[in-house]
Amino acid sequence: MPERHTNKVIRHITVALDCSPHSIASLRAAAELARRMHADLTGIFVEDLNLLRMAELPFSREIRVYTQEPEKIETLQLERSLKMQARAAEEALQRIAGEFMVEYTFRVSRGMVPAEVIAAALEADLLVLGRSGRSPTCRKGLGSTARKAMAEGKKPLLLMRPGFSAKDGTVLVLYDGSEGSQQALNSALALLQPGIPLSVLILGQTPEKAEEMQRELMATTAIPATDIEYHHLPLKEGKTLARYIRMADSGLLVLSDRMNIPKESVHELVNSIDYPVLLV
Amino acid sequence: MALPAKLAPEKLYRTCNPEGFSFDTTAELDGPIKATGQERAFDAITFSMGIRHDGFNLFALGPNGTGKQTAIMHFLGNTAPDAAVPSDWCYVNNFEQPRHPKALKLPAGKASTLSRNMEHLVEALFTVLPAAFSSEEYQAQEKDIREKFQEQQAEAIEELEKKAAERQIALIRTPAGFAFAPQKQGEVIKPEEFMQLSKKERDSIEEEIEILKTAMQSIMAQIPKWQRETQEKIKELNRNIANFAVKPLISELKTSYELLEGVMAYLESVESDLVENFDQFLEREPDPRELLLGISPGKFSHRGASFNRYRVNVIVDNSKTKGAPVVYEDKPACQNLVGDIEHISQMGTLVTDFTLIKKGALHRANGGYLLIDARRLLMEPLAYEALKKALRTRQIHIESLAQLYSLVSTVSLEPEPIPLDIKVILLGERHLYYLLSVYDPDFSELFKVAADFEDELAGDSDGKLAYARIISSIAKKDNLHHFDRGAVARVIEHGSRLSGDSKKLTAHLQSICDLVHEAEYYAVSAKKDIVQAEDVQRAIDARTVRSSRIQEKIREATLKNSILIDTDSEKIGQINGLAIYSPGGQSFGHPGRITARVRLGKGEVIDIEREVEMGGPIHSKGVMILSGFLGARFAIDQPLSLSASLVFEQSYSGIEGDSASSAELYALLSALSGAPIHQCFAVTGSVNQFGEVQAIGGVNEKIEGFFDLCKARELSGKQGVLIPASNVDNLMLRQEVVEASRNGLFAIYPVTHVDEGIEILTGIPAGVADENGNYPSESINGMALARLGEMAEKLKKFNASLNDEEE
Repeated sequence: MPERHTNKVIRHITVALDCSPHSIASLRAAAELARRMHADLTGIFVEDLNLLRMAELPFSREIRVYTQEPEKIETLQLERSLKMQARAAEEALQRIAGEFMVEYTFRVSRGMVPAEVIAAALEADLLVLGRSGRSPTCRKGLGSTARKAMAEGKKPLLLMRPGFSAKDGTVLVLYDGSEGSQQALNSALALLQPGIPLSVLILGQTPEKAEEMQRELMATTAIPATDIEYHHLPLKEGKTLARYIRMADSGLLVLSDRMNIPKESVHELVNSIDYPVLLV
Repeated sequence: MALPAKLAPEKLYRTCNPEGFSFDTTAELDGPIKATGQERAFDAITFSMGIRHDGFNLFALGPNGTGKQTAIMHFLGNTAPDAAVPSDWCYVNNFEQPRHPKALKLPAGKASTLSRNMEHLVEALFTVLPAAFSSEEYQAQEKDIREKFQEQQAEAIEELEKKAAERQIALIRTPAGFAFAPQKQGEVIKPEEFMQLSKKERDSIEEEIEILKTAMQSIMAQIPKWQRETQEKIKELNRNIANFAVKPLISELKTSYELLEGVMAYLESVESDLVENFDQFLEREPDPRELLLGISPGKFSHRGASFNRYRVNVIVDNSKTKGAPVVYEDKPACQNLVGDIEHISQMGTLVTDFTLIKKGALHRANGGYLLIDARRLLMEPLAYEALKKALRTRQIHIESLAQLYSLVSTVSLEPEPIPLDIKVILLGERHLYYLLSVYDPDFSELFKVAADFEDELAGDSDGKLAYARIISSIAKKDNLHHFDRGAVARVIEHGSRLSGDSKKLTAHLQSICDLVHEAEYYAVSAKKDIVQAEDVQRAIDARTVRSSRIQEKIREATLKNSILIDTDSEKIGQINGLAIYSPGGQSFGHPGRITARVRLGKGEVIDIEREVEMGGPIHSKGVMILSGFLGARFAIDQPLSLSASLVFEQSYSGIEGDSASSAELYALLSALSGAPIHQCFAVTGSVNQFGEVQAIGGVNEKIEGFFDLCKARELSGKQGVLIPASNVDNLMLRQEVVEASRNGLFAIYPVTHVDEGIEILTGIPAGVADENGNYPSESINGMALARLGEMAEKLKKFNASLNDEEE
């Protein structure tokens, strides 16, 4: 596929694996992108240091759904379970990479999960994560790793959730004229499958300004106007924005945290909406 | 005493005058075939078919080939079409008890409609149900229920997690569950750090964790309950959706069957079953294992199985039936009568369902008539019992034979029995009817009416016309050339000969039918358009020739004197008897030499055949009757001081029948009197203790047998046969014999008493006793009496000398 408007070529994609449904969705998305970009794929599995530490505490007990009494956690048994999980993750990676015919490497590291993931991502051009992992709650918001990666990690960052794929579905880009949002638009164009409609949500202070931004965009962007849909939203507040996005049922959301909106608001937005997000 | 005269040639053969017919050829006859002479049987049939009551089934008895089936079919062909058309029957799935399929009764023609309707319903469901379950409405509702569960769970845990975080304790997901651990700056505290804490601090942490653990456990305990509740809600939703999708389709069907209670109940059960089992209509991925093994899913595949489950197995379809059905079951095996349950081999096991129920003849004939050949029925294992059971219980209960005898042990069905309303007509030979009546107490209960078919018809003009019509109908049916009146007359004469009575015609229509075909063959061979008398004659002659090998061998042996038969001289104590041979259906007569010798003795007649156990009981009885006759005639005043021995010379197989007893008596009289018997005669007829000659069977064949031998040796003009006078009506002799008689070359004498016979045979009168019981000395009886007196005297002397010696 011819690449359009890429400021940065993506050659290495890293995906964090923990066997949760979110991570499998991430893996699929990553493999799909890797094939499209001719990139290679690195899967990382982190053995949670927290778990290992906990196992060594004298009073640690594991509470299970189908067992009456909490049981003592044995370090050895825990190690074995982690190895099994790692193997399952590797098998999933092998299977899906095989399906998409991309090259892959698999790595296991031990440490605090967010830190390890962020560190691993340093070598990659794109980090793909599940919106949440195997955390205790099946919460709607972002998991701790995702939150940390968004706050401290390298960009671009793709946060996936099950039920979406990178292959089809629409793409929504937030644009407010800032450099960050321009970059987000470019990335969106780069990732976009031909024929898939791209929606650009222009956030202008006033309707006139928004009109102006659209004109500018239409002049500078080299793709046919028919493939892009422009929408205007005068407000910049996170909550209204989140409501709009949910209403539009946008699919993949592409945005930058270096826009005219405060970074925290952007992160809050990402946290509150239940869609895959590409943060640039 | 006046001797009986030779029979005039006209008496030897009763000709049928072709001029008496009103037609030229059988082509002109197109009226209905009216079988005459079977009124008794027809009355029985009419009675049995008319009476709608239990057990009044019919047994049509009579020899094979007398047209029993044709006559009954003809009768039913007139009455059955006017009767009411019976109901349709079908088997449907019993959703509560699949082992007991339900029988549904529908008006004629409705069963196949229901079957089609159900097939359409299932087809429709394959689109309607997937559409309903893939609708956004359903998806949204289902997602909502599932998410509620997720949220419920997440909220509970999240709350606890928050509570824990406030106390610096982290909730951590372990590979198999959850655990709590103290944390510090988002990380679990290192064990060594923990150990450095004061005991109090450690205790307090442990205490906190204990509380949290208990809280967590109570959440965990709730989860299965929530899961159940969620599942229940989803089920309820599914039911509602399925019900909504199914109801209109079923309601539409119901309107067409409103008046049929059974069908309505069935449709109700279909509706609730569809709602419960809606998922079978949703598309499912094929089982990869099946694909791997290359098994074709076939009839019992997922889709096929759902089609089967709601299928209607139409057992009786009377949509095209006119009136009551008339069924002839050619192979009345048990499963052909009451139906069967078939199995299908599936991966090496035998499986079945209600669609594999097969109907039997009883199903097909229900509400009408079923014809069965009794002999075939009895030859089929258990078929007779099954038929009786059905008639007794008035219902058709399908049982597989193999199941009944545990020959296979596989899942089978017990279908609901179908009520039976039927007339069964058994066709069979007489002896079968009598045997069944004697040995089977059920038989007379179930087959109360017997239609006894005559073996012969009256040879009057009605009977002859009936023959002509039969010939005509055979010619038309089988596309043969028609017969002219001469040919018809010849067939009638042959029918008369077959009946063994010149005033009757055989009712064995099969042989007439065969003769018609054979005669037509010869007519066609001779390139004729019409079959004539000579063709019929040719067919009769050819038939005789075809089966005459044995007859000719015997005659040949006689001509070579290997078998000694004298047809010329005179002999004392020797006579020609006549025997009938019946190898393979065709019978023929041949003379056999009978001899008698006498000696001093105590008055017994020794039957050598009996002594060596070659004579049957009737033969022995005939010989004993002779002793009675001799004793009464000659041993009133003196003891019968002789021993006589009688034998059939050169007989190497058994002898049965008493038709030679008169011949034996003549031989004895000749031996006693010393009067020689003219060997140019042959004799047949049985005799009683008074010396009266009685009728015998096969008179024509016997006469012809002797005639053939004499002819082969050249007819002398003296030769002839003595037959019982009562057999004269049975004479239908070959033209050859009649001609010889007309030319004075061969004679037939009808004899009523042995005294007449012995005079013809010896040329010496038998003699009549005077008031003192003395016979004229020159008569046979006088000579015999004199001889017996001599023998008595000798015996007396012999006994006296024996006594003297002893003294």
